[in-house]
Amino acid sequence: MRNSKPPLAVICTALCQARSVLSSIPYSYCQSRCARTLKIRSHVARGTTFRYTHLHRAPASLSTLHQPMEAKIFRWWAGRILRLCTRRSSGAAAPGSGATIFALSSGQGRCGIAVIRTSGPSSGHALRILTAARDLPPARHASLRLLSDPRSGEPLDRALVLWFPGPRSFTGEDCVEFHVHGGPAVVSGVLQALGSVPGLRPAEAGEFTRRAFANGKLNLTEVEGLADLIHAETEAQRRQALRQLDGELGHLCRGWAETLTKALAHVEAYIDFGEDDNLEEGVLEQADIEVRALEVALGAHLRDARRGQRLRSGAHVVVTGPPNAGKSSLVNLLSRKPVSIVSPEPGTTRDVLETPVDLAGFPVLLSDTAGLREGVGPVEQEGVRRARESCNFLATVVASVGAQSPSDSSQRLLLVLNKSDLLSPEGPGPRPDLPPHLLLSCLTGEGLDGLLEALRKELAAVCGDPSTGSPLLTRARHQHHLQGCLDALSHYKPSKDLALAAEALRVARGHLTRLTGGGGTEEILDIIFRDFCVGK
Amino acid sequence: MFYLRGCGRWVAASFTKQQFPLVRLSSDSAAPRTPHFDVIVIGGGHAGTEAATAAARCGSRTLLLTHRVDTIGQMSCNPSFGGIGKGHLMREVDALDGLCSRICDQSGVHYKVLNRRKGPAVWGLRAQIDRKLYKQNMQKEILNTPLLTVQEGAVEDLILTEPEPEHTGKCRVSGVVLVDGSTVYAESVILTTGTFLRGMIVIGLEMHPAGRLGDQPSIGLAQTLEKLGFVVGRLKTGTPPRIAKDSINFSILNKQTPDNPSVPFSFTNETVWIKPEDQLPCYLTYTNPRVDEIVLNNLHLNSHVKETTRGPRYCPSIESKVLRFPNRLHQVWLEPEGMDSDLIYPQGLSMTLPTELQEKMITCIRGLEKAKVIQPGYGVQYDYLDPRQITPSLETHLVQRLFFAGQINGTTGYEEAAAQGVIAGINASLRVSRKPPFVVSRTEGYIGVLIDDLTTLGTSEPYRMFTSRVEFRLSLRPDNADIRLTLRGYKDAGCVSQQRYERACWMKSSLEEGISVLKSIEFSSSKWKNLIPEVSISTSRSLPVRALDVLKYEEVDMDSLAKAVPEPLKKYTKCRELAERLKIEATYESVLFHQLQEIKGVQQDEALQLPKDIDYLTIRDVSLSHEVREKLHFSRPQTIGAASRIPGVTPAAIINLLRFVKTTQQRQAAMNESPKTDQCLRNADRLQERQL
Repeated sequence: MRNSKPPLAVICTALCQARSVLSSIPYSYCQSRCARTLKIRSHVARGTTFRYTHLHRAPASLSTLHQPMEAKIFRWWAGRILRLCTRRSSGAAAPGSGATIFALSSGQGRCGIAVIRTSGPSSGHALRILTAARDLPPARHASLRLLSDPRSGEPLDRALVLWFPGPRSFTGEDCVEFHVHGGPAVVSGVLQALGSVPGLRPAEAGEFTRRAFANGKLNLTEVEGLADLIHAETEAQRRQALRQLDGELGHLCRGWAETLTKALAHVEAYIDFGEDDNLEEGVLEQADIEVRALEVALGAHLRDARRGQRLRSGAHVVVTGPPNAGKSSLVNLLSRKPVSIVSPEPGTTRDVLETPVDLAGFPVLLSDTAGLREGVGPVEQEGVRRARESCNFLATVVASVGAQSPSDSSQRLLLVLNKSDLLSPEGPGPRPDLPPHLLLSCLTGEGLDGLLEALRKELAAVCGDPSTGSPLLTRARHQHHLQGCLDALSHYKPSKDLALAAEALRVARGHLTRLTGGGGTEEILDIIFRDFCVGK
Repeated sequence: MFYLRGCGRWVAASFTKQQFPLVRLSSDSAAPRTPHFDVIVIGGGHAGTEAATAAARCGSRTLLLTHRVDTIGQMSCNPSFGGIGKGHLMREVDALDGLCSRICDQSGVHYKVLNRRKGPAVWGLRAQIDRKLYKQNMQKEILNTPLLTVQEGAVEDLILTEPEPEHTGKCRVSGVVLVDGSTVYAESVILTTGTFLRGMIVIGLEMHPAGRLGDQPSIGLAQTLEKLGFVVGRLKTGTPPRIAKDSINFSILNKQTPDNPSVPFSFTNETVWIKPEDQLPCYLTYTNPRVDEIVLNNLHLNSHVKETTRGPRYCPSIESKVLRFPNRLHQVWLEPEGMDSDLIYPQGLSMTLPTELQEKMITCIRGLEKAKVIQPGYGVQYDYLDPRQITPSLETHLVQRLFFAGQINGTTGYEEAAAQGVIAGINASLRVSRKPPFVVSRTEGYIGVLIDDLTTLGTSEPYRMFTSRVEFRLSLRPDNADIRLTLRGYKDAGCVSQQRYERACWMKSSLEEGISVLKSIEFSSSKWKNLIPEVSISTSRSLPVRALDVLKYEEVDMDSLAKAVPEPLKKYTKCRELAERLKIEATYESVLFHQLQEIKGVQQDEALQLPKDIDYLTIRDVSLSHEVREKLHFSRPQTIGAASRIPGVTPAAIINLLRFVKTTQQRQAAMNESPKTDQCLRNADRLQERQL
């Protein structure tokens, strides 16, 4: 017992971990041996009740979980720890495996420390690249390192890193853990940095667990409820992915995947049937045009996404409505600081003002906008134009009194009627033909709780429940695969070896279908047989 | 030597000059008159011949049972072998020392590699074959194969016995009963009945039972299989009419000439039997709106097209082409049937119209105005067995030691049949000698893709090989089939001759050596420019450029490279095949590296075997949805990899299965420890006995 007091970071990790276990994300139990060792020490020193008390101090999302599940997981934790204490020297040889995977292993949402884990042969390489160090830190020891982005050299975070050379690691392969500060920007930055390291890719659902299984690292016969956990994990990830794909990006991705599948099917048809059957003229040329157009679209999207990434590390909420409805007052109320100047004069706000706030546990970028009206000075008109524009790509719009739906898209819209204090108690209420709305008085604060609750619901729908999924991870995944798709498309040169060109399209399609689902050979054959008259 | 028994007739060696193996009557069995073999193959088509010879090559005493010996090696449909995807299969069959590639090198009349300009990974070796020559050469080969006996006879029933306890399956096949009531016993039985199971020929509105025009179908056998509980489906296929050669006006049609030089199918051949200038041309013509009109006006006379039996998504017949893609001109290839044949095969004109309408339709096609139809086109409907009922070694789940290969599994095409035949023959033989099965993975060959698709996904249309079905297409090329399969075939199956094995070994080591030499030669790009002026190497990089990278350029081949750097490259140009293969390896080098990583991942999943006796419907300690259970129950995947490819099996289900496998393995390991000690003791006892 060298160290009876575990360092603070590790306790935090334990908290994150426990939380994510309870929220059914099993990466959490995939904690590294080193962290475990430290924990075990603390457990041995203070007894297992230590964990329990800490858990009760854990953030609010815990309290929503029901008791039996918690008890089950505790039994399992205890078993796991005891087993670790008794059988330290297990460890089968790790078979060589393909790619190196990474994932955010701790739960999403507000937490002090987030744990990002990698597994696979390039783990050590990734660690060296991110820490800009020639040597790896000592195995299974926590060391403090400055992480920086390998592309820009920009520092990301000062973090604890742990290096677990295989086979003595959770998955049996080389593993690295980055214990970074839990802010969304940091987590997202590190995930993106990892994604840019060659040979690394975001983990698929359950992949860490599978690798651990495959390498004989998990002896889980006695663990009750494991199947449930795994099911919940993959289910949560699937739901998360679906949710992300519900929006505009999903629509785009599906469109791209469709285009690409068709282009690939036509190239494949040209390969498989071009010489025996008569395909129409210009099959390849058409595919070529489509692929080039797709390349341009993807490139533009990615450039845009990168710029947006830093700014928006959360859902975007815009307050819009007619002048003098009290939009700025609402923004100031929500952000609890004077972001915008407020005055009784209509048209006080002339530009889009953005402020990051924490709304009901979600990181939110709140925008105050100019009141929507016609026929004013050029400066304010520009403000109105910007206000309309910002509504076009934002997730949630809070419209203040009387506003028409600002755009015809299917954006989420909360209609808020401000200045409810002006309604006389005995006088007529708001018009009955109004759509569902909320009453609020920025002056008295009446109705604020209702608004916050409604916002929470909307944000949960947009971001996903912070306790079940990880939008950040999904976003990093999106970017990784879109970039991979774009890179693959750049290798598409149908004038040379067509088999190589088709391979480029296959790889590109593989990346897109990781995001959208589907992607089998049968789809390709369906298109070929639908579009071409081929046969014997 | 002839041995006559009722209608079953031992035919031997009337064609052979060499010593023919004597028919063995198992002298040690209780009934000395009942013949006993290791392997019986039923059917003498493309699957049957490959299966029988493969089993014999593996050292099994094999009996080939066929309706008629003179139809062995019959090409019942198109007079050609190979093509895109199919050519790949033939190279793989050849790599396992199968017959069809070698026979095609001796029987072709027009050799052509398709897709020449699309990259070596998708080159399609193809040839028009002389039907008569193919059959002759095949029969010569079959009747000269050591350990292989051929007998005429129709199989009516299977002899079934108690199952072996260590394998799954409700019973075990131990022989067959012929139509005349006689029996033949064997350790393994392979069914390659093609379209003969309840075969039905359709022309116009006429239907009559037949496996092929002029041949009786197998009805008793189909009933036996159904009674055993096999899920039977029905498929349809067809063949075009044959036209008299001298009635065609070739002079107005597009002529297609063969390649010069011809590329042989077999790794063991440097050339084919016939010079390019002696080969026959093919001709191309097109359909026209009058053809569409005849099809559309006579649908009521065409029961094959109307039948509900599922046809393929692709267009097998001119009727389906006209119906699904109206107002288009469709290609018709006029292919020679042989050197001295006066028939032409109009590829693309499969049809089932009444005979007189077939003639009417053909005569409105350009060049065929005066054409005479010698044999009408016809459709065939036949039973196939859902291939999810067989394992990747092609043994049935239900009946031990019973193997299916060819069209019976729902495939179409000679090459697909031959590929399955080789695998079935090898495995039937390995089963007799109690060796582990020989399974080709998806990552190893087109054969693997074919069998994996069939056994995990099943098929609802005649399954045809396309290169687009193959994920690792750039790795599984026609040029490297020997390295992928010959070495394994020699070591794991024993179906490859020593000579072929040594040749493949030499090629493998030469390639490896060549690639490493090419990697080691590095010059600056400007020096390369001086050495090989015709190539435009991008000068953007100041890094030295490897010879392997220079070889990637289209304009460069090993000859030009060896001219530039004679030492040490000159020796690699001496063998033309080696030089060509080095060029191909260089072309795909960068992509192959990535593909190898993926392949490793797939192979890892495939290494995780699922227990064979697992009952998915009732198993308790694994949490699976009912839907997933049913899917797994029906397909019975052998590995986690195969299970993950079944549509509808979720990642969660896969992890649950994985957990189940791991726990079972552990349990087994624990159990095995004690028997092992027993075994040791027994061995020790034996040793003592011997010493005594």
